[in-house]
Amino acid sequence: MIDWLISPLLDFGFMRRALVAGLALSLVAPPLGVFLTLRGMSLVGDAMAHAVLPGVAVGFLLAGFSLPAMSLGGLAAGLLVAGLAGSVSRLTGHREDSAIASFYLISLAAGVMLISLRGSSVDLTHVLFGSILAVDTTALWLIVGVSSATLVVLAAIFRILVVECLDPLFLRGQGIRGGAVHGLFLGLMVLNLTAGFQTLGTLMAVGLMMLPATAARFWSKRLEGLMGLAIAIGMLSSVGGLLLSYHAGLPSGPCIILLAGAIYLLSALFGRYHSVFARWRRRVQPILPPDAHG
Amino acid sequence: MAAILTLESLSLAQGNRLVLEDLNGEFDAGSITALVGPNGAGKSTLVQGIMGVLRPLRGRVRCQVPHARRAWLPQQLALDLSFPMSVEELVMSGCWPTHGSFRRYGPAEYRRGQAVMQRLGLQALEHRPLGELSGGQRQRALLGRTLMQEAQLLLLDEPFANVDAATVELLIETLRDMAADGVSVIIVLHDHDQLRRLADRVLHLDRGHGHWYTPQTMAWAPNGQPATAAATTQGPTS
Repeated sequence: MIDWLISPLLDFGFMRRALVAGLALSLVAPPLGVFLTLRGMSLVGDAMAHAVLPGVAVGFLLAGFSLPAMSLGGLAAGLLVAGLAGSVSRLTGHREDSAIASFYLISLAAGVMLISLRGSSVDLTHVLFGSILAVDTTALWLIVGVSSATLVVLAAIFRILVVECLDPLFLRGQGIRGGAVHGLFLGLMVLNLTAGFQTLGTLMAVGLMMLPATAARFWSKRLEGLMGLAIAIGMLSSVGGLLLSYHAGLPSGPCIILLAGAIYLLSALFGRYHSVFARWRRRVQPILPPDAHG
Repeated sequence: MAAILTLESLSLAQGNRLVLEDLNGEFDAGSITALVGPNGAGKSTLVQGIMGVLRPLRGRVRCQVPHARRAWLPQQLALDLSFPMSVEELVMSGCWPTHGSFRRYGPAEYRRGQAVMQRLGLQALEHRPLGELSGGQRQRALLGRTLMQEAQLLLLDEPFANVDAATVELLIETLRDMAADGVSVIIVLHDHDQLRRLADRVLHLDRGHGHWYTPQTMAWAPNGQPATAAATTQGPTS
């Protein structure tokens, strides 16, 4: 068993790089996901993951399979869509999620169109679904750099994000515009999706952000608990998914995300709070006398 | 006492709808001013204007109190109650305006937090999530945040809605203590019994204009709303 777990990591450099990349992404993407779920923006992460595609495609068209070019393109496209959606929402008074949904659909179509102009369906598959086993040293530095920077910025805006999620007017009353915090948060999310696309692909990078966060909500009612658990679930999925992919000869990205998905389903069934089991168990509890509630 | 907040020919709009026009008034340190008026009269709009959330269309709001000492107790519906935060964490978040993102909350702050929770009868609930509190408990926790903030200007938007009678008494007593300590309190109210017991002055908003009264000169229509015909003064009265 120990050999099953350790030997691929000892024997192969690409597995070690993949492991470090997965752990680095798991350290920051799940906490971002926790804030997304708490802000009622779970699907915005998914939409933004699609929005980076045309930028990645332009990077690919200009420089071939160059990770820095594709990442920069993806980052620019993601930030552009987030900015445009925010502007349209402010100028028209429509909700931001509908603006983001509109822009991501335009982006997705534009991205697929751009890639098909020059690349093959193999290239498209790689961009859409990634390959964590192909992470080279440049990609690893990029991922670790983005994760570290995200961690620092997230720590810096943590209290503001908490206050803004609970009571936005309290924050505005202190002279801080919620829009700036929101913009910075969306920027962090796009940055992480861009870092994740090399390993998990643009479509699945958001999986490592959202699935651990949604699973954690079945186990904790405290913010620190949600963050810690989401990180642990993300790391477990990354390591487990990698090993599964290696031993069973399956694609790595789907293995990682499916493992996180399995943890989500188990949590929804058997989690401590609000799961199917918890609700069933609560129903058969006897009625407590009023003073027993404390 | 000196005015810490002055409204000068203030006009406020929500979108392209003018809500308040040419409003004047002064608010002293230690005063309790009730904001009354029918729904849609602009009470919440004025609160937003004073907090700096809404920019004046014309005129200005002069406030001597720094942002960090302006506290705000929103209507309960404005809060996201599913947010995973305990009573103690909410009360301690009152330190945020003065401590910012990086300064640690030290033992002195935590002791003060404990004292605030004790004063409001929240000790037994300190670890309880906000989503599991009753309306009255939640309102006490929110007032705890403003006490923690050591506010000099406190705005409250219908703080007694969905709150039990015992909590109303406790809140009224706490607000009176705060005013005695020099805090200027502006409170949106509907109940004229609560208004008589709490307020020094009344600003009645109706059809975009403000009318100033004292609780004694305030006339009430049979429907429980302020009677507009009895308006005595408009403009600064302090």
